[in-house]
Amino acid sequence: MASSSSSGLTFKLHPLVILNISDHYTRVKSQSQLPLLSSAHASNGDDSAPASSVLASAPPRVFGCVIGVQRGRTVEIFNSFELLYDPSTHSLDRTFLEKKQELYKKVFPNFYILGWYSTGSDAHESDMHIHKALMDINESPVYVLLNPSINHAQKDLPVTIYESELHVIDGIPQLIFVQASYTIETVEAERISVDHVAHLKPSDGGSAATQLAAHLTGIHSAIKMLNSRIRVLHQHLLGMQKGDIPCENSLLRQVSSLLRRLPAIESEKFQDDFLMEYSDTLLVTYLAMLTNCSSTTNELVEKFNTAYDRHSRRGGRTAFI
Amino acid sequence: MDIEQKQAEHIDYFVKQASNQKGPALASVITEATSHPSLFAFSEILSVPTVLELQGTEHSVYLELLRLFAHGTWSEYKSVADRLPHLLPDQVLKLKQLTVLTLAETNKVLPYEGLMQELDVSNVRELEDFLINECMYVGIVRGKLDQLRRCFEVQFAAGRDLRPGQLGNMIQTLSNWLVTSDDLLVSIQEKIKWADTMSELDKKHGKEVEEKVEEVKKSLKKLKTVSRPTLTSEGTRRSTLKVE
Repeated sequence: MASSSSSGLTFKLHPLVILNISDHYTRVKSQSQLPLLSSAHASNGDDSAPASSVLASAPPRVFGCVIGVQRGRTVEIFNSFELLYDPSTHSLDRTFLEKKQELYKKVFPNFYILGWYSTGSDAHESDMHIHKALMDINESPVYVLLNPSINHAQKDLPVTIYESELHVIDGIPQLIFVQASYTIETVEAERISVDHVAHLKPSDGGSAATQLAAHLTGIHSAIKMLNSRIRVLHQHLLGMQKGDIPCENSLLRQVSSLLRRLPAIESEKFQDDFLMEYSDTLLVTYLAMLTNCSSTTNELVEKFNTAYDRHSRRGGRTAFI
Repeated sequence: MDIEQKQAEHIDYFVKQASNQKGPALASVITEATSHPSLFAFSEILSVPTVLELQGTEHSVYLELLRLFAHGTWSEYKSVADRLPHLLPDQVLKLKQLTVLTLAETNKVLPYEGLMQELDVSNVRELEDFLINECMYVGIVRGKLDQLRRCFEVQFAAGRDLRPGQLGNMIQTLSNWLVTSDDLLVSIQEKIKWADTMSELDKKHGKEVEEKVEEVKKSLKKLKTVSRPTLTSEGTRRSTLKVE
């Protein structure tokens, strides 16, 4: 059903929407499993179904509405909310939708209903009914589809955005879904929370070694990316020198200005400050260790005194092994 | 990088003008280009064939002028000033700006004395005004002015046109950078492994100590059952045997 869209609209998706959809799916999935399984199994909703075959045959599909702003040719999807799906009529609960819409309008007067979302691996035929039902609210709604199965080989987000277009198939003009490309757009608050989730550290402040390892791993991956970018530049310049690639002066100028910033931190002031901070840290660690040792020694001495107290009447103890 | 974007359209404009005209008209194009306030890159214009044709003609001075603007400094101009046409004040300003860029190429910290000498400026106030208004606000240079140490720390300087030999240097610098970052990656990985192994060792050590403590506790309990009179060698031998 999907080919690439030709409407020329640019879509911008906020991470909040993706989180909402996945949260909705996770909740529904874990709630549907709990009554079926005997043990309280708080399953992570994005995993594949556990081995017990009591579960429903397919993971449940969730539905909802996406809202946002459309400015000219740019469609920006900010937020989403859930909707009830009526399996008998294959349509979404209309009154609920309108009530929710009114409530959201009061809080966000700028946001309009831009479309709807669902989960699954591919768009279904029945989705067209829902799509057409929404067409009276918005003449060209968008359909956001989240694929909840985890595919480790896939590098992109499993989110696709479909638009509807009128195509002539077998002489009949029909609405079909066509895929549209989108970009992720973040507000500062969203960026902070996504960053936080991405850098999950051992939350109990684990052992110092695991925190150190996590921190170093982060630095390692950052430097690896820098390394690959420098490599690309290097190859490009080599090509220019050999003559394979035509010399592009503007690029060369930018590279030369970049390279002139190296070495980035070599002034004397930096060395002084750095060494001072380094020795400060070492001193403090040493001091802490000394304090620790002296307190341990103190405890040992107290225990020793209690055990080998000469004036005690308990005497004659066997030697410590 | 925004300098490049700002310049891009000017460069296109002048290249088009230069390729449409020939000979004496080019002189005026070159003068216009070198006095334009936002244009700092001249190698594109230099490579236009009609400009290169100027070599050897009576207007070759303009080609030399353009080359000076692309690669040279104010002091270089002063040494050959009699050969080249007289510069408009705009061109003088631009050449001085380009001089600052060249100086920033070699050092990151530029002392005021050197700057004042290169730019023919006599007092610090004028120098700072020049740096602030003409260089930083235009955006070709970013840095900090340190009046106490009388120096100018450059954090970013826009690139000038490249001389043919500089490409090799740049590639060398890039490969050095690559090697350094590769080494850094390797050493970070080693550190991570070290941290992991140390934590393993620590845990093992902790476990061993705890096991020993448990053993001692057990042996103490067993020894308590051995009553005091049996503190003969027999008794202790028996009790030690029980521990093992």
